Amino acid sequence: MSLVDKDIRDAFFDELCEIGSRDPNVVIITNDMDVFSLRKFKQDYPRQFINIGVAEQNMINVAAGLAACGKRVFVFGILSFVTFRCYEQIKVNICSMRLPVTIIGMGAGLSFGFDGPTHHAMQDIGLMRLLPEMEILNPGDSASAAQCAQFAYKGKGPMYIRIDKGIFPGFYNSGDNFSSGLKVLRDVANSDVTIVASGFMTRQAVAVADALEIQNVNAGVIDIFRLKPVDEPALRELADRSRSFVVLDENAASGGLGTIISEILARHSKKIPFISLTLPDKQFLEYGAREWFLSRSGLDVPAVAEAVLALVRRKVP
Amino acid sequence: MRNINNPAELERIAGKIRLKALEMTVAKKKGHLGGTFSCVDILVALYYGGVLGIDPSRPQWPDRDRFILSKGHACLGLYPILVDLGFMSQERFDTYGDNGGLGGQLDTGIPGVEWNTGSLGHALGVCAGMALAAKMDRKNYYAYALLGDAECAEGSIWEAITFAGEKKLNNLVALIDRNRLSVTEVLDDDSFFRSFPDAVRSLGWDCFDVNGHSIPALLETFQKAKTSEKPVLIICQTIKGKGVSFMENTIKWHHSVPTAAELEKARSELSA
Repeated sequence: MSLVDKDIRDAFFDELCEIGSRDPNVVIITNDMDVFSLRKFKQDYPRQFINIGVAEQNMINVAAGLAACGKRVFVFGILSFVTFRCYEQIKVNICSMRLPVTIIGMGAGLSFGFDGPTHHAMQDIGLMRLLPEMEILNPGDSASAAQCAQFAYKGKGPMYIRIDKGIFPGFYNSGDNFSSGLKVLRDVANSDVTIVASGFMTRQAVAVADALEIQNVNAGVIDIFRLKPVDEPALRELADRSRSFVVLDENAASGGLGTIISEILARHSKKIPFISLTLPDKQFLEYGAREWFLSRSGLDVPAVAEAVLALVRRKVP
Repeated sequence: MRNINNPAELERIAGKIRLKALEMTVAKKKGHLGGTFSCVDILVALYYGGVLGIDPSRPQWPDRDRFILSKGHACLGLYPILVDLGFMSQERFDTYGDNGGLGGQLDTGIPGVEWNTGSLGHALGVCAGMALAAKMDRKNYYAYALLGDAECAEGSIWEAITFAGEKKLNNLVALIDRNRLSVTEVLDDDSFFRSFPDAVRSLGWDCFDVNGHSIPALLETFQKAKTSEKPVLIICQTIKGKGVSFMENTIKWHHSVPTAAELEKARSELSA
């Protein structure tokens, strides 16, 4: 099976299992979450796999203790619970101790839409960005997801990886140079607008670019899978070559990709038209499919295309 | 590893440590004397009684025993020990309370300190991870955590107790400085602590109760812990402010600095 046909979860965890099967120091811990592609690893390497139960604070503390004694630790669980629930443990015992522990948040964005607001993951990027020296990865296809497992294994400090679910269009090839943490998927230089996205929203960005092409608007598309540290020099240079910037982010307006890009534009005094299309600052006390949430939030493909058109035609200030 | 068998000598060392903590608190006008004095005898038993397998010339020796002083605000009890054993210099200790110097909590920039402290409820889970790493690597080192009694209300401690019991981490020892005073409350008669021993035993631990100011009794209990097949919790019955009459069992001395007259009185009592 090629990576393109793989569920993004399988792409990441198959790579992690491969790493763990070669290095007995790798320990994988979960808060009682099942992942299909880890079942064989659990059977083959029971000493390297711990289901710690629904106890996220202890999961992080134990991970920190193991890492301090030389283990390469990966913890995973539903995103909100491995970040918000145990934030202080991450801050003190992983970050302040500068330990190479990787936290894997399952169910990025609204991928668990039907499970309600406790499972919606729309503030975690801002939350984790606050932690000094925390690296953040948000892959939007299987090849980059597999690469993220390698980055985590080779990393020297704390890392946070958001994993979505389902089969994603392939944007990267395994031979790509991943070191920059971003990729220009559609040329920016000769375009009317540049759309910047990450994770699930990259596929939306490409679909928007396709829709705009019919209307004779050329949209460049950049995928950023490493949100921290983001490749600021590359983005600065891409901003120089762009007529306008649009951020697409399935996150809260504050703290996510929109904030990351606006900080860069402001820091370098880039005076180009810029809009950030994100989730609204409101409680989502609702249950539904991701697409339903996105269309209610103006983040479905037609709505985004319309907003981009308005920007291109200077209908927004 | 320092292994002194003479109880009078160990007691003398404990008095000396208390005196150094007292004088540093007065000199820099900062310190938590009450909770420091309550745990000094436990620290002396661990560091001088042949309990902790550590080597000051190799602070990162992979096979060393791990010790986390979870109640890191009692750091003034540990700093003089680290100086005396050769982990750090007196000059470094003298920076206590200065900008950029040693702080009111422990950090791993200090040789011999395993963990950054300041937030309660973390150390037992971390030590459980360390103890588990030893098991995975078939090594013999132990992980010790010294907790405050008020800290035991943290839910994360109970997550760690459940985990360590299930994993049968018999190389994990939790010590509780049961001085019965939190920052603002007397914890003397709470039902929580009455049920503590039965609760941890039912979760797969051994539990001992010991006079936390009797170094021989502490050492005897640490030996029992070494032969247990379960993780061990030791409730060390202590007195906050132990060793200075006017500080003992007084909430005020959680975080007060003695006046000149109080210093003299405290000094003479500790030197006696």
